Amino acid sequence: MSIPAKHRDVLAAADDLRRRTLAGMAQPLERMIYLASTRDYNTGLYYHQGLALRFSDEAACEALADCHREAFEELVAASMEELVHELEAYLKSTRVAAGDFILAWKGLEPYRVAVPVGIDSLSSELVFSNLKVALAILEQRLMARPKPGASPHPLPVQ
Amino acid sequence: MIGLLLYVLLGVGLLAFLWALARRKGAPVEGCGQQFVEARQALRTLQFGLLPENLITRIFDPEDFRYVTSASPGEIGKLFLQERTRISLMWVRRVRSEIRNLMHFHLAYSRLHAKLSLVTEIRLALDFVLLLMACRALRILLYLRGPYGARAVVGVLTAAAARVCAASEKSLAFLNPPTLESFRRDSAGHGAAI
Repeated sequence: MSIPAKHRDVLAAADDLRRRTLAGMAQPLERMIYLASTRDYNTGLYYHQGLALRFSDEAACEALADCHREAFEELVAASMEELVHELEAYLKSTRVAAGDFILAWKGLEPYRVAVPVGIDSLSSELVFSNLKVALAILEQRLMARPKPGASPHPLPVQ
Repeated sequence: MIGLLLYVLLGVGLLAFLWALARRKGAPVEGCGQQFVEARQALRTLQFGLLPENLITRIFDPEDFRYVTSASPGEIGKLFLQERTRISLMWVRRVRSEIRNLMHFHLAYSRLHAKLSLVTEIRLALDFVLLLMACRALRILLYLRGPYGARAVVGVLTAAAARVCAASEKSLAFLNPPTLESFRRDSAGHGAAI
C-alpha cells in the first residue's frame, strides 16, 4: 500500500470515529479520557474493535491517536472557565458521587496518564495545572452547597 | 638570563594559546549529523511545542485569573497564580534552552550548509542576543510581577523567536526529503505518534 493511500485510510477512520463513537462526547475532556482508555498501557498502541474491522488495526490505531491528540489540543486551548464547565459535565456523565470523584481525582490525578504520546511536556503541565485549579474550584462549589436535607432544592454546582 | 626567561614565557604563552585553540569547539565537516538532528529537534520543539499562538495566549491570558478570582476568591486565586507563574517560568526556561541549541548550531555548522548573506547573519545574531536578553528580563519580571505583568516582553520574545525559527528552517531545509514534504502537504498535519 502506498503511503498516501494508507494515509487516506487513517483520515477515513478518524472521520468515522468522529461521526460515530465521539459524536456523543461533546467535551474534549471526556473524549481525551475515553481515547486514552483505548490505549494499551504496555504497548502504547490504540485499539478499537469496530474501527479495526472496518479499516485495519494500523489505520484504527493512528486514527485514535490523531483524535486523542486533537482532544488534548482543545484542552490546552480551553480557558479556565471552559475547563471548569467541562470537568463539571464530565463529573455528571460519570454518575459517581461528586465527593468521591473529587477525592479520587485529587489523589490519583488520573488525567496524568491520559495524555497522548509525543506531546510537549509544557502543554501537559499546563493542562494538569489547570485541571488542578478547576478541581479546587469545583470542590469549593460543592462544599458551599447545603447538606442533603437542609433544603428541598439543592443549589446547582454552577 | 633575561632573554632565556622571555623565550620560556613566550613558549608557555604559545602552548597556552594552542591548548585554548584545541579546546575550542570547531565545525567538523564530517560526523556532525547528530548536531543537525538536534537542531532540527530544537526547531520543531519551538515551532510546535513552545511557540504556538494558542499556547502562549492561554499561558499569559489574564482572563483566566479574572475568572478564577471571581469564581473562587481567596486561596484558589493564590493557587492559580502560583501555578501559572510556575508554568510561565517553565515556558521561558524551555524557550531559552531551545534558542541556545539553535544558536550553537548556527555558530558552528550552518555556515557549511547554508549560504546566508552578511545582512541575514547580522540580523540573526542580533535576534539571538535580543532573545537571550528578553528571556532573562522575562524571568525577572515573572518573579517580580507574576505571569500577567510582562505581556510586552512576551510579545518581543515570540516575534524574535519566530524570526530565528524562520531563518533556521531555511538552514535546515535540506533535511526535508521531497517525498516527505509532498506527503506532509497531503496530510491534515495530525500524524499519529505511533
